[in-house]
Amino acid sequence: MAVINNILQTNLNGLILKNPIMTASGTYGYADEYDDFINVENLGAIVTKAISLKPREGNKHTRIAETEAGMINSIGLENVGIEKFLKEKLPVLKEKNIDFIMNIAGSTQEEYTELAKICNENKIKAIELNVSCPNVKTGCIEFGVDEKALYNLVSEVRKNYKGYLIVKLTPNVTSIENIGIAAEKAGANAISAINTIKGMSIKLNYINGRFNKAVVQGGYSGIGIKPAALSAVSKLSKVVSIPIIGIGGIEKLNDILEFFAAGAQAIQIGTANFTHPDIAEKLIFELEEYILQNGFKDLNELKRELRI
Amino acid sequence: MIKDQIKKIYKAKIINTEKVSTNSYYIEIDCNKEIEAKAGQFVSIYCEGLTFRRPFSIFTNNKGKIGILYKERGKGTKYIKSLKKGESIDISGPLGNSFSIKNCKSLLIGAGIGTAPISFLKSKLENENIENIFIAGFLNKNEIPKLINPNIIYTDDGSFGKKGNVLSDTEEIIKKYKPEIIYGCGPEIVLKKISELGERYNIETQISLEKLMACSIGVCRGCVIDIKHGTKTVNASVCKDGPVFWGNEVIWQ
Ligand SMILES: Cc1cc2nc3c(=O)[nH]c(=O)nc-3n(C[C@H](O)[C@H](O)[C@H](O)COP(=O)(O)OP(=O)(O)OC[C@H]3O[C@@H](n4cnc5c(N)ncnc54)[C@H](O)[C@@H]3O)c2cc1C
Ligand SMILES: Cc1cc2nc3c(=O)[nH]c(=O)nc-3n(C[C@H](O)[C@H](O)[C@H](O)COP(=O)(O)O)c2cc1C
Ligand code: FES
Repeated sequence: MAVINNILQTNLNGLILKNPIMTASGTYGYADEYDDFINVENLGAIVTKAISLKPREGNKHTRIAETEAGMINSIGLENVGIEKFLKEKLPVLKEKNIDFIMNIAGSTQEEYTELAKICNENKIKAIELNVSCPNVKTGCIEFGVDEKALYNLVSEVRKNYKGYLIVKLTPNVTSIENIGIAAEKAGANAISAINTIKGMSIKLNYINGRFNKAVVQGGYSGIGIKPAALSAVSKLSKVVSIPIIGIGGIEKLNDILEFFAAGAQAIQIGTANFTHPDIAEKLIFELEEYILQNGFKDLNELKRELRI
Repeated sequence: MIKDQIKKIYKAKIINTEKVSTNSYYIEIDCNKEIEAKAGQFVSIYCEGLTFRRPFSIFTNNKGKIGILYKERGKGTKYIKSLKKGESIDISGPLGNSFSIKNCKSLLIGAGIGTAPISFLKSKLENENIENIFIAGFLNKNEIPKLINPNIIYTDDGSFGKKGNVLSDTEEIIKKYKPEIIYGCGPEIVLKKISELGERYNIETQISLEKLMACSIGVCRGCVIDIKHGTKTVNASVCKDGPVFWGNEVIWQ
């Protein structure tokens, strides 16, 4: 099986991908583990784990829990830091010919600006801003929940970074439309949505007259968040004109079609990579097969037909 | 450089299933491809409807065939139990690091279902003619799986073998037998004691840890523990850097 004729080629208003299927930040590392399972270079792109200015150790307490329809994570952005990424991970991605988008995260606007500059100097083709991080200057408020803070952040990054800029929105807001509009106004080339939903897992086990309590507070992802993600993508698609990358609970071909119907131009797969390490590549083949079998000219025609 | 055994997903066929104690089962899977697993490595199994694949230590490995020994706990193991001979199963591996085998007198300690990887280790040592003793511990006679190969068995209630827990006589065994390395797998409390004994008697220990896993291949950082690295504390993933660690490296909670 091989992808033929470029029928899956996806043009995100300037960023051209082999196909619309990417893997989501934090679920694919730096792609170094997955090439035992698939040909990673077949993917539209991989989005790296969030990279911060300095290495981060992440959280100390229990970091994951499985839920009825997905999982909760509280990893705490453990990552190698930008210096080590550029020195050790970037050359491998390049050598293996893997298209990638760098996901970046900071805790102050200055940190994001600094990261943007470094990405610019290193000619990183595309970055995705993770704005679901608390702004340490304003306490626990995330950049991505405050229109003004987000507008300023994206504008500042835009000034310092000439490549393709994606802003990844958090669903934990009252109006995701307003946040999307702010991102577009500030100069984003695309929006990706959604990041994880705030969620909690409590597992109780009564043994020997005592409750054993396993608690994880963090971000909810996986199949259970698909309806929320579809809603966000659909609402955003009505108010912004930049491309939208749909994320949330995708694990089969039909999920991808639903995201196209809602207005996504491309998609990312997250949690499902854990359940099926070969899922992303499999879905590329399935999508291609679907287009050919049903007699569509290409992906663009399929998307037009699907659009609600 | 020899590339480590490639981790692949096998839509494999179940060639054998067997109930081996009141609450544990053996399942043998034909991956239809030559696999050379090391003792201590594990596989992950997709269980229908569940987000996380379930990790299980490799208990037997004969060419392309992998056997595991599992205890029924929740949904995942119930699903595996429901599978029948001839049906297919989604298995990935071998994953993780392995026990470091040394050519010296070895003491092997396994408690409960932790005896599975230790049994595999014992057969590897025996293949290399390395002298060893394997002691195993269980709650009672009904929980002893049929297929394991220990030299000494303990049961908490004395219903089989010696009465007591698996570590009841370890100090005496250490003094008499004078092992140069101790391997262990089982509940964390047992592993902690093994590593303490190792420090007290100045013997190297290698223990296999368990931790809830999401990706089981080292990318999500969900299964990390604290490890001593010189004077520093660093993160290590149980799924990729482990599951086997040197006892004196682990920082116990
Ligand atoms: C590297 C590694 C190797 C393993 N090897 C084996 C093996 O060879 N044989 C075997 O039977 N099991 C082994 N396990 C444990 C096994 O993975 C779990 O028992 C299994 O995932 C439980 O799945 P479940 O869906 O049936 O239970 P769940 O529904 O997930 O859990 C049911 C109950 O069991 C408890 N539980 C779940 N996971 C564990 C765990 N890891 N340790 C202790 N309690 C747990 C839960 O707290 C809960 O109360 C191993 C684990 C690891 C990390
Ligand atoms: C373990 C884990 C780690 C994640 N880390 C990041 C991250 O570093 N940066 C980021 O922008 N999103 C991160 N995410 C969010 C995902 O990229 C994705 O937006 C979310 O999981 C929803 O998609 P899914 O339902 O397909 O998993 C993480 C998700 C998980 C499960
Ligand atoms: S389970 Fe993902 S890093 Fe270990």
